[in-house]
Amino acid sequence: MAIRPEEITTIIKEKIEHFHTSVDINEVGTVIQVGDGIARVHGLNNVKASELVDFGNGIKGMAMNLEYDNVGCVLMGPDTHVQEGGNVKRTGEVISISVGKDVIGRVVDPLGQPLDGKGPITAEKKMPLDIVAPGIIDRQPVKQPLQTGIKAIDAMVPIGKGQRELIIGDRQTGKTAIAIDTIINQKNIPAAERCICIYVAIGQKQSTVAQVVKTLNDFGAMDYTIVVSATASDPASLLYIAPYAGCAIGEYFMWQGKDVLIVYDDLSKHAQAYRQMSLLLRRPPGREAYPGDVFYLHSRLLERACKLSQENGGGSLTALPIIETQANDVSAYIPTNVISITDGQIYLESNLFLSGIKPAVNVGLSVSRVGGSAQRKTMRKVAGTLRIDLSQYQELAGFAQFGSELDKESQRQIARGQRMTELLKQNQYAPLTLAEEVLSLYAGTHGYLDDIRTADVSDYEKQLLAFARTEYKAVLEELSAVQEMSGELEKKITGLLDNFKTVFQAGK
Amino acid sequence: MNSSLRMAAGRYAAAYDQLSRTAADAARRAEELSSAAHALEPVRDLLEAPDIPLAQKQQALRAALHQLPQTADFLEVLLAAKRYPLLSDIVRQVQALADGRQGIIRAQVVSARPLSSAEKKQTQDTLSARYGGTVEASFRVDKNILGGLKIWCRGELIDGSLQAQFDRLQEKLLN
Repeated sequence: MAIRPEEITTIIKEKIEHFHTSVDINEVGTVIQVGDGIARVHGLNNVKASELVDFGNGIKGMAMNLEYDNVGCVLMGPDTHVQEGGNVKRTGEVISISVGKDVIGRVVDPLGQPLDGKGPITAEKKMPLDIVAPGIIDRQPVKQPLQTGIKAIDAMVPIGKGQRELIIGDRQTGKTAIAIDTIINQKNIPAAERCICIYVAIGQKQSTVAQVVKTLNDFGAMDYTIVVSATASDPASLLYIAPYAGCAIGEYFMWQGKDVLIVYDDLSKHAQAYRQMSLLLRRPPGREAYPGDVFYLHSRLLERACKLSQENGGGSLTALPIIETQANDVSAYIPTNVISITDGQIYLESNLFLSGIKPAVNVGLSVSRVGGSAQRKTMRKVAGTLRIDLSQYQELAGFAQFGSELDKESQRQIARGQRMTELLKQNQYAPLTLAEEVLSLYAGTHGYLDDIRTADVSDYEKQLLAFARTEYKAVLEELSAVQEMSGELEKKITGLLDNFKTVFQAGK
Repeated sequence: MNSSLRMAAGRYAAAYDQLSRTAADAARRAEELSSAAHALEPVRDLLEAPDIPLAQKQQALRAALHQLPQTADFLEVLLAAKRYPLLSDIVRQVQALADGRQGIIRAQVVSARPLSSAEKKQTQDTLSARYGGTVEASFRVDKNILGGLKIWCRGELIDGSLQAQFDRLQEKLLN
């Protein structure tokens, strides 16, 4: 569209007419020292903790340390434009982010500025970043399941809406993959129950974030997803506020009665960014040089995940924090902290990953403390004994490696365990619907795989699901609709599996 | 100077200030300390030198300040406590405390051209009314502000300069 000159003139005229030549009165301080993203300011006697201050040139800062005669501020931008002796203004505001429904589908920085070049975002409301989590009265217990579309997780470590489930593991074990699959899987879920997803990238490479955004776009998941990005090249202050920004966006939707899923990828880097800031602000270091309040840093963030009571609209905020361990060491400071805060963890192991078990979930160490009560009864019925079966299998498999002779029952358990392990393998970006998961697991736990070669299990599953989708669509629909497995439905499933067996064997 | 040193200076200043009973007394003693510090500036290196015995320094101090025995006492305490390097900060804080007792508020006023004495008085009166005390302003000329006044007082910046208004206009037109 061509720009008409008179339009511009009118706008300018209007702007000049509405310009008030008022006197500016501000409480100001003077920068006495600046460097490493930290500024020490003299003056600002009435500044409040966490208040936003203005350094001019569009650079904002946050008052972190209120000391006897100076204020320690972290800068939210480059410190090259901030000079010693420069003026710093109080703003009287705490740090907040502009939110609105337009933010869905966008990539933003922790201050709410768009990073995807799709134009400005219309703000409906400003949400403060750091708030106190909803109290006991405002909540209700976790009771609805959140489907990840990953068999191993939905069956054995079920996640409920409003839960905080930690994803923990070494580098390159598929932590982000689980989170991304969960986001992609929301596409399979009817719009009414679907979660709005928020992916918070903290301290990651720009290329990694770009890859995640591309993947989400390719699978059509950006329609209901927001990406909050503070990459490795951003100042530590932005990394520090990124998860709170994501959480504030999530809370906006949660208080509208919607379900929200938020992924913090990852909180190890968040803790490191906070450590950097704290050390530069000369706060005393503690264990692993983290400051004393690093537990509170994460507990106050994760405590904001909740399921609101019906009076409050019944919305929920489910958090999937990610922690990267070094050499499988879960007893390091930050991993133990976050394990103790969350309602369970999905523990990923590199040796499982390398032996081809993907997702590399360690079934023995992964738990979900509240998700069990939220699990759909149909799923609970098929997955009830799965955990025990698998851990018994792993114990026996250890013995079997010595070549000792085993009795018939043990051999049967090993054979079943091998097939179940094979069945729980799942490709990336291929989440299944609840009905498909139940059907697959039903086949496994009810012995339909016992006479199939282990190598053929994945083939069997693939064909079974394709067969069910074409020939038994009604059964799958019924499975996804019902809460409980009736005898009648079970009969339909066994019928389906028996029929498929003949088809599969004929195909062989 | 770091916070703990500044805090120490604050304590010495408070102690010195508390020796005065009245506001006028405090102002006089603040003035005395300020002039003593100024007079001793040329020999500061000697007073801070670690290799000169304390007794010798104290003797020299007493000889120089024989007309101001109380000020000399205070400076001796500083020397004994090895806090003499804090003197300039202490002088500033003592001055602030004395100002506080007298209800004097200091302000800095920047204008684009020199103000007439009537304008200066008007500025001081307006500021006194605003801050509820006697404002004593120091005036400075800075052509860069183009017009209007820029006033720093009690940690506040009252910016009525033409330059600031142009800056705001520029910001409004660009956004």
